[in-house]
Amino acid sequence: MDFLRTLLSRFAALAGRRGRDNDLDDDIAAHLDLLMEEHMADGLSEADARRAALRDFGGITQTRESYRIQRGFPRLEQFARDLRYASRQLRRTPGFTLTAVLTLALGLGANTAVFSLLNCILLRPLPVAHSEELAVLQTVRNDDEHGSNHSFGAPFLRALERHHDGFETIAGYSTHPFQVRSNSSNVRVPGAIVSGQFFQMLETPPVLGRWITPLDDRDGQATVAVLSDSYWKTRFQRDPAAIGSTLTIANKPFTIIGVMPSGFVGADATYRPEIYVPVWAEPIVDAPYNAIESGYHSWWMRMLGRRAPGVSLDRANAALASVSDGILVESIPDAKWIKDARTHHFRFAAEPGSRGYSYMRDTFRRPLVVVFVLCSAMLLLACINLASLLMARAAARERELATRLALGASRLRLVQQLLVERLLIALLGTGAGLLAAPAVSRFLAAVLIGGNGDYVSLDTSLDFRVLVFVAVVAVVSTLLVGLVPAMRATSKGLNEQIKSGTQSIHSRQHRLLPRLLMSMQVALALILVFGAGLLATSLQRLHSIDLGFQPKNIVNLSLEMNKQSRDGDALVAWYHQYVDAIGRLPGVRATAYVSYPPMSGSIWTETMHAAASKAEQDIYMNSVSPGYFGTLRMPMLSGRDFEWSDTGPSGLKVILSQQAAQKLFPGQNAVGQSVIQSDGSAGNKSFQVIGIVGDIHYASLRKDAPPEAYVPMTQNTDHKPNYVAVTRVEGSVVPLAAAARQLASNMAPEIPAPVLTSMMTDIDGTIASERIMAMLAVFFAICALLVTAIGLYGTLAYSTARRTSEIGIRMALGAKPAQVVGLVFRENAWIAVYGSFAGLVVAWFTARALTSLLYSTSARDPWLLIASVTVLVFIASAASLVPAIRAARIDPSAALRAE
Amino acid sequence: MGDNKSDVLQGTLDLMVLKTLEAMSPLHGYGIARRIEQVSGDSIVLNQGTIYPALLRLEQRGWIKSEWGTSETNRRARFYSLSRIGRKKIAEETENWERIAATMARFLAPSN
Repeated sequence: MDFLRTLLSRFAALAGRRGRDNDLDDDIAAHLDLLMEEHMADGLSEADARRAALRDFGGITQTRESYRIQRGFPRLEQFARDLRYASRQLRRTPGFTLTAVLTLALGLGANTAVFSLLNCILLRPLPVAHSEELAVLQTVRNDDEHGSNHSFGAPFLRALERHHDGFETIAGYSTHPFQVRSNSSNVRVPGAIVSGQFFQMLETPPVLGRWITPLDDRDGQATVAVLSDSYWKTRFQRDPAAIGSTLTIANKPFTIIGVMPSGFVGADATYRPEIYVPVWAEPIVDAPYNAIESGYHSWWMRMLGRRAPGVSLDRANAALASVSDGILVESIPDAKWIKDARTHHFRFAAEPGSRGYSYMRDTFRRPLVVVFVLCSAMLLLACINLASLLMARAAARERELATRLALGASRLRLVQQLLVERLLIALLGTGAGLLAAPAVSRFLAAVLIGGNGDYVSLDTSLDFRVLVFVAVVAVVSTLLVGLVPAMRATSKGLNEQIKSGTQSIHSRQHRLLPRLLMSMQVALALILVFGAGLLATSLQRLHSIDLGFQPKNIVNLSLEMNKQSRDGDALVAWYHQYVDAIGRLPGVRATAYVSYPPMSGSIWTETMHAAASKAEQDIYMNSVSPGYFGTLRMPMLSGRDFEWSDTGPSGLKVILSQQAAQKLFPGQNAVGQSVIQSDGSAGNKSFQVIGIVGDIHYASLRKDAPPEAYVPMTQNTDHKPNYVAVTRVEGSVVPLAAAARQLASNMAPEIPAPVLTSMMTDIDGTIASERIMAMLAVFFAICALLVTAIGLYGTLAYSTARRTSEIGIRMALGAKPAQVVGLVFRENAWIAVYGSFAGLVVAWFTARALTSLLYSTSARDPWLLIASVTVLVFIASAASLVPAIRAARIDPSAALRAE
Repeated sequence: MGDNKSDVLQGTLDLMVLKTLEAMSPLHGYGIARRIEQVSGDSIVLNQGTIYPALLRLEQRGWIKSEWGTSETNRRARFYSLSRIGRKKIAEETENWERIAATMARFLAPSN
């Protein structure tokens, strides 16, 4: 009770501090007065009485001290005082402060940014209840070279919906842009096709209306749709009357039955659908394609499940494995497929799915981890740098601190004060870093998304995990960085200080630690520079690969003909008309059609063999219009190009790539020969080879060109095929885009506007992760060099300043400026040499880890090693030069006087 | 003032202040210090300033309360008096002290 009252009283005292001080003064004054009265009554003179009174009272200052200690929270007030003192000190040396804060901010900010990205892509769970109960389903074969497969077809979905022991709910989904009518035109909106139990599984109640349920997901039901909150806002202005109104998707009406809350992202955090429709409606939104009808030939969905309460992941896995064979037999009508699957121990499995499933995770896991390692190295560098700077600074204040120690300050108190100063720097650095982190994070995200398709979104807002991470790092850095210099600076007694007089005599040990730290910095910087060099060189080599065609200035115009009525020859005629019109536009050099432009990510393969032999080859196919090869500037090696007159009745024709011709007809001239395509159930098709063209890279920069074959679009029997017009443009693309859209809307108003992409962007997109890594590595290397340079400069400047008198003496004794420069320079030379050496050794051993990321670049490239060392040495020299030159300019008499 | 100055423990000073105030209230700092010196027969010589932290301590615990008044020399000063709680505490503290003194006495008695 007493304790409580005391505590409250102390709190209250915080408020009226000054008033209380005055009160005490009044009391003391009154007390002294009375004492004086007493002594004067005894007969002393006024002056003597005063002295006696003071003697009786004891120390007034001590009284005041004890009073204050009793009254408030002395620790707290002390801390506040230290803080004020520290900030004053920091303000007095703005250069140092700025350097230290920037160093920390760079390290922390970069790390935080990368960590938030890592968090978003790799770590953050889906924002649904009990996300740890979710599991991602996969199909596993023992010999699957790509590991497990996450794609499912409709038959498996329906079968698993019926047999989902171990799971409370199980659902499939596919993300897909929908064509939605808005005002008078069609726009593409990111959407998702989800099965009946999808929303139930994610346990997030709608904010308006209701979910899609299993009852809605049956053939022939009403076409319904659920909206996202953001779509409800932009399209319907959050009007509750949206429920029940109609949305026209793929030219068919869908009734809106519900709206999901904002923050609901479906099952893939990197793709935010705006509209959800049931699986059975897939043929409608996907028209004229019908993945459901393709049955087990089309693997278009991902599946997730929520484990039943109390069921562990292992039990769920076991349950899935046990029903696998039954489902196999039930869903697949192809005996050969079943036999093949059984031979390879086909089964269903589940893996933890609290984060949902995102293909981005696979693509970017490695680069992000590499980047994180880079960041940590950067942070380490920053901390070391800071430590050196602080050490140098503390060393400069040694005399002051020793004096204070001699005057009675406790060592603990001094260390505390120094630590507060460090803490202030750490707080400022952390604050600055945190401020910059979101911007850096967004920049990184933009780069990552860069070539990766539309509608990918990364929510990079800082969240709890990130904040905790930063806080921990900041605290640990402060402690590490602040303690050692503080302890060292207060370790020397004043006696020793005065003895060492001009401070020009330094014990070897005293100098060892700072030098060690700086060497470590140089080593780290070297490693970063070398790594960046490797990645950048690899990227540059990737960029200079000969693709087999000329991609610059090529623009891809994607057309989608599903929603209009022409087909067969009529559609080909339309295409012909359109491409001619495009060809006549100003700035267009050449244009032609292809179904899958190179590097677009799509693959179409068929198995073929020469008519005369049975040896089958896997051939990469494409359907093209006349003029394609010319547009891409591929060499026509023999034979002729297609013509618009090469229609169906004239016999199936094919143009082979050089490799395909050599594989199918080794040693012969392929032109004029026949090639048979094994078509499985549809019988065999025989093609006549009419030409041979050069090889080109089909879908990947890193893989070599595969054997390829081209068939004319005039002989394409698919219904309403889509084509891309590859167009070689000279000058600005903008007028072409407008003109192409106008043409399309004139000639076929029902189709969506053609989408323009630059082929170079697509190609760059395939090496996006390499690009990012190289960019980031270079960024970090530059930062590292900067920080190292600052560190080298800073520490040398400090130590030179302290040796001013020594240098003055030397000069007075006849040393030439060049010799002084040499003297100062030598300090850092030691550091640079040892640091580079250490860095080289480490780099030699660890560069191996990067090999898988490099293209045609050895991880131990000697030229790069030499170049890195040169860069480091150059930077170290430059950083050391300024203080050295300044030292040489010291006026010896001024220096001696300052002593 | 005598030559022997003996340290006065903090706790005992508190009890002395309380007893002083029990006898004479209200008193200001000078008065309390003087009276303590008198009662102890001048064998204890305080640095009179040390009274003030002690008074603050007691006031924080709520055992004494203070009021502003005017001293004999016409200066503004605080006058202290016992609170109700303080009065109760005197009995407790006295008992404590007597117990300790008795225990010590047993230790210090010549062994027989």
